[in-house]
Amino acid sequence: MAELGQLRALVAYEVSRRWRSLLVWGVALGGLGALYVALYPSMKTFMEQYLEQAPENMRRFLGELRGPLTAEQWLGMEFLDMLLPVALPFLVITMGARALAGREERKTLDLLLGNPLARRQLVVSSLLTMAASLALVLAVTWVISYLAVAIVGVELGAGRLASALAALWPMCLLFGALALLLSALVRRSAIAIAVPAVVLIAMYVVEALAQVSKTMEPVRIVSFFYHLGSPIQGDFPWTTVLAMLGGVCLLGLCASIAFERRDLYT
Amino acid sequence: MTPAIVTESLTKYYGRQVGIERLDLEVRSGEIFGFIGPNGAGKTTTIRLLLDFLHPTAGRALVLGLDVHRHSVEVRRSVGYLPGEFGLDVRMTGRQLFAYFARLRGMDSLGWAPMLADRLDLDLDLPMGRLSRGNRQKIGLLQALFHRPQLLILDEPTTGLDPLVQDTFLQILRETRDDGRTVFLSSHILSEVERVCDRVAIVRGGRLAALETTESLLEKQRKRVILVFASPVDPSAFAALPGVTNVQADGNTVILRLDDGIDGVVKLAAQHTLLDLKTEHPSLDEVFMDYYEREERWQN
Repeated sequence: MAELGQLRALVAYEVSRRWRSLLVWGVALGGLGALYVALYPSMKTFMEQYLEQAPENMRRFLGELRGPLTAEQWLGMEFLDMLLPVALPFLVITMGARALAGREERKTLDLLLGNPLARRQLVVSSLLTMAASLALVLAVTWVISYLAVAIVGVELGAGRLASALAALWPMCLLFGALALLLSALVRRSAIAIAVPAVVLIAMYVVEALAQVSKTMEPVRIVSFFYHLGSPIQGDFPWTTVLAMLGGVCLLGLCASIAFERRDLYT
Repeated sequence: MTPAIVTESLTKYYGRQVGIERLDLEVRSGEIFGFIGPNGAGKTTTIRLLLDFLHPTAGRALVLGLDVHRHSVEVRRSVGYLPGEFGLDVRMTGRQLFAYFARLRGMDSLGWAPMLADRLDLDLDLPMGRLSRGNRQKIGLLQALFHRPQLLILDEPTTGLDPLVQDTFLQILRETRDDGRTVFLSSHILSEVERVCDRVAIVRGGRLAALETTESLLEKQRKRVILVFASPVDPSAFAALPGVTNVQADGNTVILRLDDGIDGVVKLAAQHTLLDLKTEHPSLDEVFMDYYEREERWQN
């Protein structure tokens, strides 16, 4: 029970310390979502004409779009499948990297661990902080984007938009957990940021290339973007989401073991 | 009574470099224990091993009777720790920091923090980013003391404090001891160790060079003898006496260091017209330097 109280205190402190920046993230991403929603009525006809004449490779890149362009297709193409999955992981990658290695670099770890905390509590609280922060940013993004849907009068279900945003949560968290593991291992926050960032960009590029090049198709299996698909246009990817949450737990466990075993420096 | 700290052959290597080597130490409950040595002697390594921040290469450490690795959390529950270097969340106030740390310790109040802040003249309501270096150090001291720990482990605690605050702080340490609690004080400032510590350990190159009560450490060491004569005398006669070293002559004055009894010096001085004779016990600084010089001579 005492451990739970400590975890609550750690997460509450970290989230409250960041609430302004989380709000900025949420408002910025929600604002972009709202912008795309607002652009949909005027872009619909233009995009439909463009897609009719677009080269085959471009049509495949944009998700094999045919016929009338729906709001789901438009938001998926521009915002939910392209911008958000690349931008949002950086929020948690930096959080994961700074949770352990960053604290060592800023020399705040000693004071914190002078308290009766187990190292694993710090790892678990960092994961929970990332999960809560992401949820907060996604919730704000959803609220602002859906406000635009209601104001502009676009046909798009609130549940469909929510599930598309929710599907991003475990994927972003997985990159955050990777940063946390590296932070537990290497004691350099720059490395803990750089490696997941490179992996993220590489996965995005692989998936993008696989959509236009048949030779790249077998490789796309390594990309999380491929497994995630485009949830706003179809079913919620339960298997992928559960597998990613399993990956988060596994990386968290490895981070906990690595952090437990290593020396802490100032 | 269970000793506050016991180390048994505690060893830490960083690759091939020695952090500390086979350190055997016992800090008694209810004492102020000074831990002195130059940079790189192994003081901070020892402290970090005691807190389970570092894992030993060999040996073990017990704090308040508990193995520091197996019972790391329990140990830190009873310990107040001030690191030699620390960072603070600059946007937070001291009060917010203590409220946070109190929650982590399961306390429902700020403990002794307000009272100690008052004694050390620290404003708990200012963002810590706006505090001077000395006031940040006070925050560090308070976070080590506010939960009234059984054992205080302090690494260079008076860095950045003005002399008045240093006095108050040393008084707080004495009160901690009088309360039956223990203080493990690592410091470069030997005069403060001399003023407040009951026993002192000197570390050098990761090894224990001496461990004694502060009093006996000072007593045992070579005294300085100052002889003032009516006219200049030949100092070489004094240098030839057994137990006499570092003989210096300056006009009518001869200054020497004395290991053994003073009888030979007095008899030799009496052969001249002696105007004054003074003996001075060395300061801890001198004792410390003496240990180092001896060690270097021995190694050469």
